[in-house]
Amino acid sequence: MDLSADQLAAARADRRLLSVEPEGVRHAVGGSLSEEYLRGFRDAAQFLHAQVAGAVAPAQFGDTDKRTWGLQATGVADSPETGAGITVAVLDTGLDLEHPDFAGRDIETRSFVEGETAQDAQGHGTHVTGTACGALAPGGGRRYGIAHEARILAGKVLGDDGSGTDADILAGMSWAISAGARVISMSLGADVREVSAAYETAGRRALAAGTLVVAAAGNNARRGAGDAGFVGVPANSPSIMAVAAVDGALAIADFSAASSPVEGGQVDIAGPGVDVYSSWPEPDGTNTISGTSMATPHVAGIAALWSQRTGATGQELWAQLVQAAQRLPLPANDVGSGLVRAPGA
Amino acid sequence: MPEKVTISVADDAVDRIDEVVAALESGGLQVDQVLRPLGVITGSADTRHVQALGGVAGVASVEPQRTFRLPPPDSDVQ
Repeated sequence: MDLSADQLAAARADRRLLSVEPEGVRHAVGGSLSEEYLRGFRDAAQFLHAQVAGAVAPAQFGDTDKRTWGLQATGVADSPETGAGITVAVLDTGLDLEHPDFAGRDIETRSFVEGETAQDAQGHGTHVTGTACGALAPGGGRRYGIAHEARILAGKVLGDDGSGTDADILAGMSWAISAGARVISMSLGADVREVSAAYETAGRRALAAGTLVVAAAGNNARRGAGDAGFVGVPANSPSIMAVAAVDGALAIADFSAASSPVEGGQVDIAGPGVDVYSSWPEPDGTNTISGTSMATPHVAGIAALWSQRTGATGQELWAQLVQAAQRLPLPANDVGSGLVRAPGA
Repeated sequence: MPEKVTISVADDAVDRIDEVVAALESGGLQVDQVLRPLGVITGSADTRHVQALGGVAGVASVEPQRTFRLPPPDSDVQ
């Protein structure tokens, strides 16, 4: 098959193709063509045909029996880093401390909700902690956890009813910084356009102390109905990294909020946030749900891997995440610098 | 009527946050927490005192406290 240099480069750059190689002499020597050769030929031809026809089929990630689609799409499975030596704080509804996938881990808990322990009765906190820091080989099946050797700070800032106040959340951030968190993951937000001075102050002082804060962009979009939504508090703080959600085809999720025009209101990066499988309080053990809440701990866990590899903290760690992100053929308004990417092998 | 507020301390006043807290208390703030690593103070004050708290030396901003709420655990989008 004769391809122009440009066509070859385009085919090579397309991650959906396994490989594009010169034909060489394989088919010239033997009479029969190998199955592998023909498959490569077919894939390249299909790709080029689709390009000409203007309808490139999207990439499609799905869970395998080994790992979730999100860990595949972000390169976590190929990263030698484990999060060892890095502290990750998750501020949410707490953690199911009885969950077998967290047995034997270095975990510190604190509840900021009056009258409640850090034990997660809601499920959300256990799910996001599972993504950021869950086990390498969970008992129930496929891997979903990223920084599987990180120290975990599980701060309960949202009660069993799923609600929490600024005072609880800010107290959790303050605790996490004091306890040495390299990353704070906050899968929470309010649909408020105006930047909060308190969160911006907190995010700025966290960065200065070497703690990166990542937060969910928000789920207030209804893209199918023409409403792209807006990034809310606290993710709209300039010093807090706002995380959008993409699906297994690396398309923007219908619910994932777009950048807003306020200073700091931009989406900074995207993570896997549709049909995300992770831990859930017993007896269920696991659950599959969607949201920018689920995309956020992917970024937090991967930030821990980067920090382990390079030693970067704060603003420098922010820059590494944004620089390493895989660019997507989507508006930066929706996905920022692209899909978060783990440090490669 | 008492109102919950969140107060951010200005960059140039973080080092003397205790003085800012004392001034806020004199101004009618009932202090709940002094979050030193953040330079943020939480508490409550009577509505008629809240606006004046913003004028206390070393205060960068006074905000009413918000409540955040997750969707129910059985909803598809979280």
